Amino acid sequence: MPVLTILGLALLVVGAFLELVGAVGVLRLHGFFNRVHAVTVSAIGGSVLPLLGISMLSLVFENLGVRRFYLAGMCLAAALLILVLAPAGAHALARAAYRSNEVAKDFTYDAIAEDRVGWD
Amino acid sequence: MIPLIVVLIFSFFSVVATYLAVVERDLVNSAVFMALQGVCYALIHYTLMAPDIVVTYIPVSSGLLPILLLAVLRKTERYEK
Amino acid sequence: MEEVIIRTIEFVVLIYLASATLFIVRAVRGPTAFDRVLAVDALSYDLAVFMTILALYLGEPMIAVGAVILTLWIYSLDIYISKYVESESIGD
Repeated sequence: MPVLTILGLALLVVGAFLELVGAVGVLRLHGFFNRVHAVTVSAIGGSVLPLLGISMLSLVFENLGVRRFYLAGMCLAAALLILVLAPAGAHALARAAYRSNEVAKDFTYDAIAEDRVGWD
Repeated sequence: MIPLIVVLIFSFFSVVATYLAVVERDLVNSAVFMALQGVCYALIHYTLMAPDIVVTYIPVSSGLLPILLLAVLRKTERYEK
Repeated sequence: MEEVIIRTIEFVVLIYLASATLFIVRAVRGPTAFDRVLAVDALSYDLAVFMTILALYLGEPMIAVGAVILTLWIYSLDIYISKYVESESIGD
């Protein structure tokens, strides 16, 4: 059982560090597409890893009874959902921002610019 | 102690989000601010030990209300005069 | 051993509150609608973790349903906003 505790605590602390890094990146970076990168760090590293860590830590708490398995399963389900849904939502937002005229597009290299002729 | 800090911080930010949703000229931003206010209220309800209200409040305030506003905005104008 | 876990959780909760505050500041200041939607998105993933940490800290596992529901509905907000802006800019 100490293996589960140590692994869960390590995942929790590493996830909290990545969450803080992603939050500072969202606040400080310039431009929309840089912020998409920071949000990816914050969503995958800062939300999926701590959810796995909590689902391991909740198995250690013996005094919660049978309900600790419910908490572990709920954390595992939330981790799987975030792992699927956060990149999908970020890709949809980045595609909409690239095709609209509101965001400043100052790229050093734009790979899909020549495909963009027939869009509008 | 931690639930009290959470309720204080998020009630302050929900007031800010409500004020910005009222005075904003771009109505898409107003829909996003309504979703932000819904998330803040959901966390306050959750901290005050009412998870059944959270289950009904999140779909209404951050799912159904912005899509109703966007469906109306698609028929009319985006920017308020 | 449970004492160490409780102390670590109290430390992690403060980090998550600070991150949520930074996300809300970006959601209020963001220049375009996309920045605001992105900040609300990251804030909700942050708060999903926060809800499960709070359920473990307060000793009430049955209140942890909110994390899954918050994740699913905020994803729908992304899809609404991107579909609206895309159909408007192309001309519909």
